[in-house]
This record gives sequence, C-alpha cells and structure tokens, in this order.
Amino acid sequence: FTMAAGGGAGNKTYSFKVVLLGEGCVGKTSLVLRYCENKFNDKHITTLQASFLTKKLNITGKRVNLAIWDTAGQERFHALGPIYYRDSNGAILVYDITDEDSFQKVKNWVKELRKMLGNEICLCIVGNKVDLEKERHVSVEEAEGYAESVGAKHYHTSAKLNKGIEELFLDLCKRMMETAQAEERAKGNGASQSTTSRRGVQIVDDDPQAATAAGGCCSSA
Amino acid sequence: MDFDISDMYVTSLETLSLQRQMMENLIIAKARQDALQRKMEERRLRLQEEANRRFAASGTITAEEQEQRVLYTNVLEYEQDHDWPKLWKANIKKNPDDPTLVSGLVSCLLSCPDHPVMMLLKRLQYRVYNRLYPIVSKSLPTSPALPMKPSHSAQSLLMSDSHQNVSKSEVGHSMSSDASLNISFSHDHIANEEDSDWPHTLDRENSFEDLEQFLTQLDWAPSHGDPDVTFEQSQLDQEEPLVQDLEMRDLKEHLKAIVKDIHIAIDQLLSLCLLSFECLNTASSKDLCVASIEEAFFTPLWSPLLALFRKVHRERELSFESSMRLYRDASPGDVGVPSKLYPQDPVMLHGSYPYDSAVQELRLLCRDCCPQRKLECIVRTLRLICACAEDYSCLHEAESKTAAIGADDLLPILSYVALHCELPQLVSECAALEEFIHEGYLIGEEGYCLTSMQSALQYVESLHTGGFQLHNTKFT
Repeated sequence: FTMAAGGGAGNKTYSFKVVLLGEGCVGKTSLVLRYCENKFNDKHITTLQASFLTKKLNITGKRVNLAIWDTAGQERFHALGPIYYRDSNGAILVYDITDEDSFQKVKNWVKELRKMLGNEICLCIVGNKVDLEKERHVSVEEAEGYAESVGAKHYHTSAKLNKGIEELFLDLCKRMMETAQAEERAKGNGASQSTTSRRGVQIVDDDPQAATAAGGCCSSA
Repeated sequence: MDFDISDMYVTSLETLSLQRQMMENLIIAKARQDALQRKMEERRLRLQEEANRRFAASGTITAEEQEQRVLYTNVLEYEQDHDWPKLWKANIKKNPDDPTLVSGLVSCLLSCPDHPVMMLLKRLQYRVYNRLYPIVSKSLPTSPALPMKPSHSAQSLLMSDSHQNVSKSEVGHSMSSDASLNISFSHDHIANEEDSDWPHTLDRENSFEDLEQFLTQLDWAPSHGDPDVTFEQSQLDQEEPLVQDLEMRDLKEHLKAIVKDIHIAIDQLLSLCLLSFECLNTASSKDLCVASIEEAFFTPLWSPLLALFRKVHRERELSFESSMRLYRDASPGDVGVPSKLYPQDPVMLHGSYPYDSAVQELRLLCRDCCPQRKLECIVRTLRLICACAEDYSCLHEAESKTAAIGADDLLPILSYVALHCELPQLVSECAALEEFIHEGYLIGEEGYCLTSMQSALQYVESLHTGGFQLHNTKFT
C-alpha cells in the first residue's frame, strides 16, 4: 500500500524474500536452523519453527531483512511451488552430495525458477553434508560446472559441522543487494510505479519501514 | 348595534396590525435566513479556496483531484461545526508518542457517521454492494421467508425479478450451506457500530435485506447531486438482462473489477482520512488507520463478496468436498504426515483426533469478517500446528532433538487439518484473502501462512482424483 520506493539514496532497509528448495532428506531444515539460531540468540526462530524464518543483517552499513521461506520437498507438493517462489529475490537450492538424485531435483527447480522468475532471481546451489565427503556421489566439477552454466553460484556446506552456511547467506545477500540497486538505477530516480506492483524488492525509507514492522518479519526497531 | 360595528372595527384593526407584524416578522426571518445562507455560502467558498490552496501544488486538475477537493471542503466544514477533531489533534500534538490516543481518535472517527470520511465509507460500500448484489442474489436460496419489499432502490426490484428466475439447480449445494454465508453478520462488529444505523438484530434469513435496508438509508439521495450514484443506478437498470446469462468468464471479470474497486475505495478512504487528520500520517498510525478502515469497510460486505468468490470457485470447492468425504476417516499418516509427528495410541489423544486444536482454530476463520482478522486466524492455526507437532514428537522419544518442523512436515499436517475442518468455503475464503492481503504482509509470516494454506487446500482438492499417490515413501 504506502511504501515509498526510490527516494534518498542514504538509509534504506532492504527486505528480501528467499525460498529454500530441496528434497526432504537433504538437510535444508538443519541448514536454515543453523543459520538463524547460530549466532547471538535463538530469538529469530519464529513460532513457525523452521518453516518460516527471519533474520536481520547489517551489510556494509545497509540494513537487510531476510525472510526465509521453506518449501515442501515432496513431489506431490511441487505443483504448488510457484505460489511459494513468486516475488522471491533469491533461492537456495539444496542437494545432498551423497545423493545423486537430489542433485537432479535441483536441476529441475532451476529450470522452473528461471522460467518463472527470469534472471532477476539470485540462485544458490548448495551441496550439503560435506562432512560425508567419503560418500560423495555428486562430483565437485559437475556441480560447479552446472551452476556456472545456469548463472547460479555453487556452495558447499555442512549443517552438522556448521560449515559454509554464514558465507552462503552473506554472499547471497550481497548479490541480492546488487540486483536491487541495479534495478533501482534502471528504473531511474523517483519512479513510483513500483508502489503499485507487487513484484520485486521492497526498498523502504527508514521511517516507513516501521509500518511494515507490524506485518511480522521485518521490525527495524 | 353600532357598538358591535366599532368592536368589529377594532378587531379587524387588531387583526391587521397582527398580520402586518407577522409579515414583518416573516420578512425579517427571510432576511435572516438569506443572510445565513449567504454566510454559509461564503464560508463554503472560503473553505473551498482553502482546499484549493491545499492542493495548489499539483498543476492540472483531474476528476479525482476535483473530488478530493470537494471532500476536503466537507472535512473543513465539518470541523467548523464540530470540536472533537480539533481536540483530538491538539491532544495528539501534545502527546505524539501515545499510541492509545491514535486508536482513540480512529475509533472516535468510526463512531461519527456524519463525518465526511464515514460518509464516503458508506457511499463506497454502497457502490460495491450495488455491484455485488445483482450477481450474488441469483444464487440465494429461494426462501418464502424472504419477502421482497417493493422498495425505493433499483437493486431490490432487480432482485425480486432475478429471484423468481432462479432454477433449483442453480441453487448449488455450495450455497446451500447458507449458514456459512450469513454467519459472519452476527458478529462483534455490531458492538462498535452502536451509534450508526446498522440493524441491530440480524438473523440468517434476512441479513441481505437488512443490509440492503441499511444501505438505502444512506445519504445517497439524488438531491445530494452525487454523480456516482445516479450513474450506478442507470447502469444497474441496463444490466439486468445481462445478469441472467453471466457465464463464468463474465463472473470472473466481474470479480476482478469489484476487487479493483475495493482497492481503490480503500485507498481513497485512507487518503481522505490522512487528509483530515494529518497527525495520523506516521508509519504506525497509518497502519492502524488502514486496519480500522478495512474492518469497517469489509464487515458488512464480506458475506456478499464471499458469495461471489464462491460462485467463481465452485468447481474447486466441489473437489475439496469430494476429497473431504473420501478422507473422512483418514489418519495423518494417510496424507503423508510422518508417524513421529502424531500419536498412534488413541489413548494419548483423550478421545479427540490429532491436531484438534488447530482444526478448531481454523474453523473460526469463517466467522471473522475482515481479511486481516482472517489472516491472523490462519497464522494462529499454523502456530498451533507447530506447537502440537512439537508436543507429539516429544511424546515419541527424547532422542530426536530437532523438534523444529520445516515445510516438509508442515504441509502434510496442514492438509490433514484442512481436511478435518470440513469447510469447503475455505477455498474461496483464501482466494479472497489472496486478493486483499497487503503487499507489506506478503513476504512476512502472514504471507507465508496464507501461501502454505493455499498449497494445502490445492493439495486436498487434488486428493480425490487420485492424482497423487498417498504414501510418499521419502520421509526423513
């Protein structure tokens, strides 16, 4: 409704939506729980537990509110995917390095995301469970090569050992900020059409940000 | 005899002087009235100028701006005649950080039916209702207990016409559960509408009529020169034959147009509200304003609005109902809930079924009348699911420390809860919520919950076709 897009270049809060995709057993829940409960406290865990999580960050002086949407990995819920990832700024596609099948699933999702959301969405392909390196079934070269070919970045993580997770999210945030800034520049200054469209990043001036705070995830107080 | 004559003479003299005096009084009164009239006009002009100055920044005047000016003039006029706006403004200026003052002001405003904001609210409600009525009334169950009054408004005539044309088959079973259609009327909104002319006693049978009655009492008489209303009326007259053969495509178009109208109406109301009370133009106050306006706006309209959504989504509701019947006795496991997330031992459930509290909560959704409240109800349902899941998994064993459930578990459970809710209109309710949820909420918890609910409902709809295999083997 009343969100000021554009405006002064100074203090802004970025609100990003990130969808989490991956088969049931690849460990995406552990991954995101690690990320959100890890550091200072577990306050970020909402009452929806690991399904929906929020995190506030400060990156190079800019405030970022992340809303992380978990999606169901089961095949029978896939038809319903698009309503989850519409308007997403980023997607984290998780596979299990010991499970070739889960990597194939990631490929399917990438195709669909690109088809639905174009190139504006920042894709991260994540090989989880690197603590099980010995049982690896997806080669590093194959995974990284594939990621590059589809304009995604590849990461290796271990939710168990808490490895690579912080870097993954930080990197994703930076990329989403760059995309948002590029989008802003393309739009030119003071373009106000974005207020009416539901699509895309919400870039909000500091004060109005408090308005959306009541909406749950992104309080800036 | 001549005594009589003189007496008569005196009497007639007296009468004459009396008459003259009366004439004089009349002239004086007329003069006074004229003066007052002039003064009123002058004041109106002055206020009009003030309103013009207020909008001077914008160069060319569009019709909307013109309308805004008129409305703002009304606001200024109202404030000359009433003190309360000034008092509230002063009070808020003195204590800018007191949120109770803001909500106090907003509820005060809502209780003043003659304030221009509220007049606009009613006019806009009427406009939406006017568009909804001819479509929705077609699907009303024909009931002899619903007498048609030959009333002053076009749509009641229309209704009695189209009403006789309703074939039995058209009264679909999805509408036959008319309790759900009207139940929303009997709720708490009456409490805070005490002072307005809302009907105080509502029952199932005549809620539409009551609403209509109420709405015709509104200040929309042509003498007010409201171009909208006269336009709407003539349009309605022409629409009547059309109404009878509205195909689904037209219905959808209609729905789209009405949804758009509602969005515009709420924007209009908010901007007039903020224009009237600039002190409300802060982020948090604005939110409160929107919430209050929406609640007032939607409360009487939700029922006919939902009826239209239900017409459009009838097929989906039928599918939902088929699945519901098919899975009446299904266990959570049958829709893919992993066994550690519900107790297998019926003793543990104390005679009820798993996730009972979430089912009960979700059933309350249909009782609220405004989107925000309904959304909160969905959020509460999902939170209850998470809480239950945590309890159940604790029952099972202490070993699994990762009690937090993700979407892989949440969706099957939510599907189970939706099935047990046994309310096919959830499909339409959620479709309507989807239209009216604010962008600000879309990426937050509310948005997530609504999206999950939509997915679960779609999944349930698909169950009866057998398109999905029951037990998906891959559970962690």
